[in-house]
Amino acid sequence: MAAADIKGPDTASMRKAYARWAPVYDLIYDKLTAPARQRAVSAALACGTRILEVGVGTGLSLDDYPENARVTGVDLSEHMLRRARRKVERLGLGQVEALAVMDACRLGFPDGAFDAVVSQFVITLVPDPEAALDEFARVLRPGGEIILANHFGAASGLLAGLEEAIAPLATKVGWSAAFKAERIARWARSRGVAEVVSLEPVFPAGFFKVMRLRRFA
Amino acid sequence: MSEGRNEGQKPQPGATRTSGGVDPKLLEILVCPLTKATLEYDAERQELISRQAKLAYPIRDGIPIMLPEEARPLE
Repeated sequence: MAAADIKGPDTASMRKAYARWAPVYDLIYDKLTAPARQRAVSAALACGTRILEVGVGTGLSLDDYPENARVTGVDLSEHMLRRARRKVERLGLGQVEALAVMDACRLGFPDGAFDAVVSQFVITLVPDPEAALDEFARVLRPGGEIILANHFGAASGLLAGLEEAIAPLATKVGWSAAFKAERIARWARSRGVAEVVSLEPVFPAGFFKVMRLRRFA
Repeated sequence: MSEGRNEGQKPQPGATRTSGGVDPKLLEILVCPLTKATLEYDAERQELISRQAKLAYPIRDGIPIMLPEEARPLE
């Protein structure tokens, strides 16, 4: 494989391991993240039905939304979006209005187009999270909310110790322990376009959190 | 400030996309990710054209690829 030659044997062996574990991994990931996803979806629906999900991936969360929602999903990966679209077609998910390939930092939507912007397990992976948050705020209507479901690192205590232990694995799947919720709160304060309205720990044992930021009216 | 989409228009499941084409609801709301200006839809070439940015964003299998690095530069 050409890519393996360039990147070396480590990448190749990792890919092989992932390929072997992928079905189990997806199942566990689905179950572990379900409570956080459900909290994010209900928070979004409280804002309205026009919902943008950034980093929709293979569409894991798409059927979390009820039929009366109007969800637009974007992702950087065309490959993943194709899988998401197959899922939409297979399950007949009428709540999914559209899918498009986009960079979170350069959204192709007009100002104020959505009631809520949901981004799950993504913001800690974006190279420039502040630029992404600027875009999320831009496409929100005044009073709309940014809803982030994520693993945000604990500052100290038992959970911080656990995070250190699983850090290499967690980083790979976007659960970086180094990324603290405080960074997002700092963004909100410095821009003055939104405020943090809640940071709620969810199952399992508060490992994931749902953070809501409301755009000023 | 644009509201982007009209309220109360829910597309029918399965009726939103013609085969190989792009969802018309999506065409309504998409803007150029660089200039945030409206786009022209070229149905024949399956492209979304941003005059200001001088870029044509491809639509592949009905999925708009709104990445400037994937777009065709217009002369």
